[in-house]
Amino acid sequence: MTRTNDIDSADFVVVGSGAAGASAARVLAEAGRDVIVLEEGPEVRQEDRGLGAVESFLRLFRDRGTQVAMGRSVIPVLQARCVGGTTVVNGAIVWRLPEKAYERAFGAIGARDAIPLAALEERMDRIERDLSVGPAPERLLGGNGTLMKRGSESLGWAGHPIRRNVLDCQGSGRCMEACPTKRKQSMEVTYLPRAAKHGARILAEHEVRTIDMSAARAVGVTGVRGDGSPFRIAAKHGVVLAASAIQSPCILRRSGIGPREHVGQHFRLHPATAVAGVYRDPVRIWEGATQSFEVDHFRDEGFKMEVTGLPVELAGVRLPGMGQAFQRAMAEYPRMAVWGVQIRAEAEGSVSPANGRSDLRYTPTPADMEIFRRGARRLAEMHFAAGALRVYPGVHGGPDVIESPDDLGQLDELPLDPRCWSIISSHLFSTCRMGKDDRAGVVGFDGAVHGTRGLWVLDASALPTNLGVNPQHTIMAVATLLAERLV
Amino acid sequence: MRLGPDAQRRIAVVLADVFGEPIDVARDIAVFLDGYLQRAPARAALGIRLGVWAVTWLPFALVGVPLPASALSPATRERYLARWAHSRNYILREAFYLLKAIALMGWGAQPSVRARLDVGPLAVTQPGPQA
Repeated sequence: MTRTNDIDSADFVVVGSGAAGASAARVLAEAGRDVIVLEEGPEVRQEDRGLGAVESFLRLFRDRGTQVAMGRSVIPVLQARCVGGTTVVNGAIVWRLPEKAYERAFGAIGARDAIPLAALEERMDRIERDLSVGPAPERLLGGNGTLMKRGSESLGWAGHPIRRNVLDCQGSGRCMEACPTKRKQSMEVTYLPRAAKHGARILAEHEVRTIDMSAARAVGVTGVRGDGSPFRIAAKHGVVLAASAIQSPCILRRSGIGPREHVGQHFRLHPATAVAGVYRDPVRIWEGATQSFEVDHFRDEGFKMEVTGLPVELAGVRLPGMGQAFQRAMAEYPRMAVWGVQIRAEAEGSVSPANGRSDLRYTPTPADMEIFRRGARRLAEMHFAAGALRVYPGVHGGPDVIESPDDLGQLDELPLDPRCWSIISSHLFSTCRMGKDDRAGVVGFDGAVHGTRGLWVLDASALPTNLGVNPQHTIMAVATLLAERLV
Repeated sequence: MRLGPDAQRRIAVVLADVFGEPIDVARDIAVFLDGYLQRAPARAALGIRLGVWAVTWLPFALVGVPLPASALSPATRERYLARWAHSRNYILREAFYLLKAIALMGWGAQPSVRARLDVGPLAVTQPGPQA
């Protein structure tokens, strides 16, 4: 790890090394700008990869995997904290921004001219080439994906192999533990090395606490290193915040920057839940691509379904029964397929800094819970269509198990109280959302924080709303486009 | 934050019933819990430690028996644990599932469990393409 002097400087200081920060750093460095990328978390070493869920949480995730949003229920919010950000531990899913989603996000705020869809698509084309994006091949669907394919085809629902940023995937099923073979083209093996090749300095274990301002201009950042020592880095041209939809607003709030009615507000998610099915033949969920197949047939209804790689050490949490009943249920793990539904929720929560951590508030709306109920029902239906013997909905107050498709109607009565559901999220948006002025949002259509100079927010926090599709690709394309305008 | 030897011994008895495992496997899971508590963020560790305490010491409140959970008869302990898992109180229910989730990570890491389910080793170490 490079160590900074107490006061170092660069043309641009980029805060965060995930999808947005790495994309911006690549653009700026390739344009000849002097760039420093500051990452709060550690570097990802080869010995940190593929160690199982526990070690992955403890080494690579924010709050060691214990970060939650509090509201009517407790929702785990998974986010990486390492060089490369969440791209290191996600399912390698790359989704082009659909036109309808673009309209909902950028069209609705009048940003069509400033951020044209065609311009984003050009960046997406390049990103896909750079990151070797392609659909998961048949050999990598694994039992989990093959069954979802079978179920969706049987029902006539639109589904397809997931497009992934992986080069020569070995199908180790360990995407979420940092790819053990480094085949996943996450930022620490792609754009960050490219930025470094053009002179960018990537500094791990440098946590930015505040933005230094002078006469409304961002002139640097102040923070602490992993060893607790303070640092300050001056920015000659400006600061690019790309620290995530949780950290970016917290840095702004700590710095007293931006409209308080918007910074950290409008926190949007794609909350998700899962339904497991048990089959006659082995599924061996741990083999193949972690996430290989998806069904987007119901995207216009607000939900999308995809296979979920659930390791054995996490699989039993919501399975019913204890003792021998637990043993019998877990003995079926090799014959279990686990599929998730993620929804484009309408709920808005908030993010704020609190005693050195982040305070997340979020409660799904009743309408969101209705979508969850429909999604869980559809997942169960698809399991049976694929040949499942039984299905575990995993919802408190509902049936422990559904043994026949004739009983699927029971799922229409699942409770709508979020406290009955096991909900999780990793797609986070809009806490520094775009708007034409500071009455509408935190940043303008160029990513610049309203009322400041030399300060841009280019990550998912700047997106106007949640997208309804996996966001990495859009985050990278927007960051690329807006960073190009800084050079 | 630590889980002392007595606390480990008591929670191991409970975990053996939760997971249907022999007591020696459950003791290993309790050791894992202790290790996890030492590495978890303080707030999370406090919550988990409180959960361990509550599951160990609340039989009187939930089944009316003034004994630690480890000293209950197997039938009473089964009834007691079911009260936690199916509680109408969200906080109680989630406290139990939080403890179960963390303990499961220790259970799933057991070589004997992984061999039984034929899921391969917990950690895979492979050289990267650039290695």
